[in-house]
Amino acid sequence: MKVRIKFSKHGVLKYVGHLDFMRYFQKAFRRTDIDVAYSKGFSPHMIMSFAQPLGVGVESDGEYFDVEVSDSENVDLFVEKLNEQMADGVEVLEAIVLPEKAENAMASVAAASYEIEFYKDAPLTEKLIKQFVDSSEVNYVKKTKTGERTINIKDYVFDIRYLSMRCMYICVDASSGGNLKPATLCDALLKLDNKNIEDYPFHITRKDTYKRNENSELVPLNRF
Amino acid sequence: MNQKLALPEEVLMSIEKPERYIGHEINAVFKDKDKIDIRFAMCFPDVYEIGMSHLGIQILYDMFNRFEDTWCERVYSPWVDLDKIMREKKLSLFTWESQDPVREMDFLGITLQYEMCYTNILQILDLSNIPLIATERTWEDPIVIGGGPCSYNPEPIADFFDLFYIGEGETRYRELLDLYKESRKNNESRDEFLYKAAKIPGMYVPRFYEPIYNEDFTLKEFRRLKDDIPATIVKELVTNLDDTYYPEKPIVPYMKVTQDRVVLEIMRGCIRGCRFCQAGQIYKPVRERSIEFLKERAETLLKNTGHEEISLSSLSSSDYSHIEELVNFLIEDCTKKKVNIALPSLRIDQFSVDVMEKVQDIKKSSLTFAPEAGSQRMRNIINKGLTEEDIINGAVLAFKGGWTKVKLYFMLGLPFEEEEDIEGIAKLCNNIAAAFYEAIPKEKRINGKVSITASTSFFIPKPFTPFQWAKMNTKEDFIDKAEHTKHYIMSQLNQKVIRYIWHEADVSMLEGVMARGDRRLSKVILMAYKKGCIYDAWSEYYKHDVWLECFKECGIDPFFYTTRERKDDELFPWDFLDCGVSKAHLLREWKKAQAAIVTDNCKKRCVGCGTAKFDCGLCINR
Repeated sequence: MKVRIKFSKHGVLKYVGHLDFMRYFQKAFRRTDIDVAYSKGFSPHMIMSFAQPLGVGVESDGEYFDVEVSDSENVDLFVEKLNEQMADGVEVLEAIVLPEKAENAMASVAAASYEIEFYKDAPLTEKLIKQFVDSSEVNYVKKTKTGERTINIKDYVFDIRYLSMRCMYICVDASSGGNLKPATLCDALLKLDNKNIEDYPFHITRKDTYKRNENSELVPLNRF
Repeated sequence: MNQKLALPEEVLMSIEKPERYIGHEINAVFKDKDKIDIRFAMCFPDVYEIGMSHLGIQILYDMFNRFEDTWCERVYSPWVDLDKIMREKKLSLFTWESQDPVREMDFLGITLQYEMCYTNILQILDLSNIPLIATERTWEDPIVIGGGPCSYNPEPIADFFDLFYIGEGETRYRELLDLYKESRKNNESRDEFLYKAAKIPGMYVPRFYEPIYNEDFTLKEFRRLKDDIPATIVKELVTNLDDTYYPEKPIVPYMKVTQDRVVLEIMRGCIRGCRFCQAGQIYKPVRERSIEFLKERAETLLKNTGHEEISLSSLSSSDYSHIEELVNFLIEDCTKKKVNIALPSLRIDQFSVDVMEKVQDIKKSSLTFAPEAGSQRMRNIINKGLTEEDIINGAVLAFKGGWTKVKLYFMLGLPFEEEEDIEGIAKLCNNIAAAFYEAIPKEKRINGKVSITASTSFFIPKPFTPFQWAKMNTKEDFIDKAEHTKHYIMSQLNQKVIRYIWHEADVSMLEGVMARGDRRLSKVILMAYKKGCIYDAWSEYYKHDVWLECFKECGIDPFFYTTRERKDDELFPWDFLDCGVSKAHLLREWKKAQAAIVTDNCKKRCVGCGTAKFDCGLCINR
C-alpha cells in the first residue's frame, strides 16, 4: 500500500538540498522497522516519491512524499516511529494510507503557499500588494537556458496577502508545467516599486502544498 | 530546537554546498559544556566529504565522547570559497558540533593522512587564530596534536605541532587527558605540561628534540634537550581488537560523502611485506577482530545508521582468517535488508568471483587487480607475491563469470626499473586480453568485448619501508616512462581494447620531498602557505611554481630529498621513531630487493621483522 507522509523542515536542515534530504529519509526509514517496498535489481532502492523539491535555504510546514510499504504495516505508528529517527528541526506530522486511485504526490502538485519574510528595511506596503492584485498583467522577463521569455506573473499567482511591512503570504503555481519560484514573484513585485531585490534579503517558509480536487479547488495534498 | 550556526545565513547562502558546515548530523554528540572538563576538537584537514569518510576519526570521536569529562567535536577545512569569505570577514573557524571557535578548545587533534595536506593544517590554525608556530602559543590556544600515518615522519611539520601521538589512538589518550587536567589545576606552564607529556609512551614533543645536521645536510644526530625523555619513541598499538573502542552509532552525514556506508574494520596490519608499502610496515603485526564481534557489529551499525551499503576495511581482506564465513553471513543478512556489499581489496580467486557474482551487477562493475609491476622480476623486487599465472587465472575466472571490464594498477619509477619492466606492463595487459579471447568463445561474449584499463601512478619512497633508501625518479623521468608505457601498449596486438591512464607528476615530486623530509622543510611549507598554497592534494589548486619558488627562497634543494642516493648507514630524520619493524630488517629487505629475492609472508613464516616484541596478534597466535 502507498502511504503519504507530511512533514515540516526547519532550522539548520534548510541547508540540506533536495537529493540529500531524500537520502536522509531513506536512511531514517532504515533505522525503523517499517517494511518499505524496494525496486528490483542489484541496487534496490526504496519506492518513494517526493511531491515538490524544496530549495536550499527554504523552510517548510507542509512537505509531502509517498512511500510504498508492506500491507501488513500499521500506519498509525508511523509518525511516532519516524519522529524517533528525525534530526532536530524535522517533524513528521501525518501519515495516511493513499486511496486506491490517488495520483502520486509529484504528479498531483498544483500549488504551494509561502510566507516571505524580509530581513530589514521593510519593502512591503499594502499599497504595493493592492497595485499587484489590481493589475491585470505583471510582465516579467524570465531567463531560460535558451534565451529570455516574457511571462505574465499574474497567471501563476493564486493568492497574495499583505501581513506586515516585512511579511507577506503567497500562493503560487507549483505544477510541473507552471512552477513559479517565490523569489521570482518577490523580484517582480519589488520591480513595480523600482526596487532591486538584491538589496532586500528575505527568508521563505513554505506553508503547504496543494492539489486540485474534483471541483478544481486547491486543497492540501493530505486531503481526500 | 536550539541550533547554533557559526556562519551567518548570507554567508551560507553564498557558498557552494552549505550543508558541509552545518553539523547536527544524525548521531553527532552534544554535551553540556558547563559539565565537562576537556573540549577536544578532532580535525581532518580536508573538505568535509573527504574528512567525514574517515573511519579513524569516527573511532576516536566515539572513544573521547565515552569519557564523561570530555566533549569531542569535529573540524574540517573550509573549501576555497568559504576560506576567502572567512578571511575577508574575519570569521574564525569553528567546531561542527557546538559551532564555537576552535581556539576555545583544550586540544586540537589533526589527523595526517597524506603529505599533501600540510598547507591545509596551516589554514586550519590560521583561520582559528592559533599561532602557526607551536612555541609561540599560550594557554589561550589549544594543545595541537598530530597523529595518523604521516606522523611516522613528523619532521617537516614539527614546528607547527605541540606534540605528536605515534601509533593507534585508543591506548594513551586517557593518560594524556588526565595529565592535562592535573597540569591545569596546578597552574603549570604549557612547557611543563608538554615536558610531562613527553614521558608518556608514544608521545613526541618536537620542541624537546633538536636535529643536528652534517655539512651536506644529512642528519648527524637527533639530540634530546631533556635528559629524562625517551631517545626513541615506540609506537602505540591496540593488542586486542575485540576489547577496545568501536563506534556503535557513527555519525551519518546529510551530504553524500566519499564513504557513504557502514565501514567494518576487520583487522589491522598486513601479513604481506610489499616493499613499497608503508601501511604494510607501520601497522604490523596483524591483529584480527573476531568473527562474532564483526557479525554483531555489522547488524548494530546498519540498524543505527540506516546506511544502504556496507564495506569491509583492511589492507588485504582476503587474508582475514574467517573471510568466507563473514562474507557469506553478510550476503545473507544484507540481501534480507536490501543492503549492498562493497568488497574492495579482495584477491581475485574462485571464492571472490563467486561472491561478487552475487553482490554486483556484472555488466556494470569491473574487476580490479593491483599487480603494481609488469614483469615478474619487478614483482619480485617489490615482493608482491603474485605471479602472471595468478593474474591470468583470476582474470579468466572473472571472464567466465561474465565480467568483461578489468582494471589494473601499476607503478612506474620503482627501484631498479628497466625498460623490460615497463614493456612488461603492456605485455601483461595484452596477455589478459588474449586470455579473454581464448577462454570465451565468440558466441558466449554476451556482455560485449573485453575492456582493460591500465593505470599507472608514480612510485614515491616512504619512511619505514625497505625502499626508504631508494632514489626517486624526477618528474622528467616519470613523464618519459609514462610515454614509453603508452608506446608499448600501442604496439600490442590487442591495443584497441586497452586504455591507459596516468597520474600527474608535479604533485608526486612534492609528496616525495615531504615523505622523507626533515625539519628544515617547516619554513618552506610556511612560506608556501603564506603565498597562497592550500588544498595541494587537489590538482586544480596545486601551485607547483609557487612551491619551487619557495624552495629557492629558502635555499633548500628539493632533489636532496627525492633523487639523492642514500647510504645504508644514513641516519634518517624519522629514525628516532620505532614502528616495531627494525631498521636492520628493512635494510635486509632492501638488499633482497636488489637481488630480486622474495620474502615469505607472516603467515607462512616469521621473518623476524621485530614486531614480535609487541607480543600480540599473528606474532603470538600462529
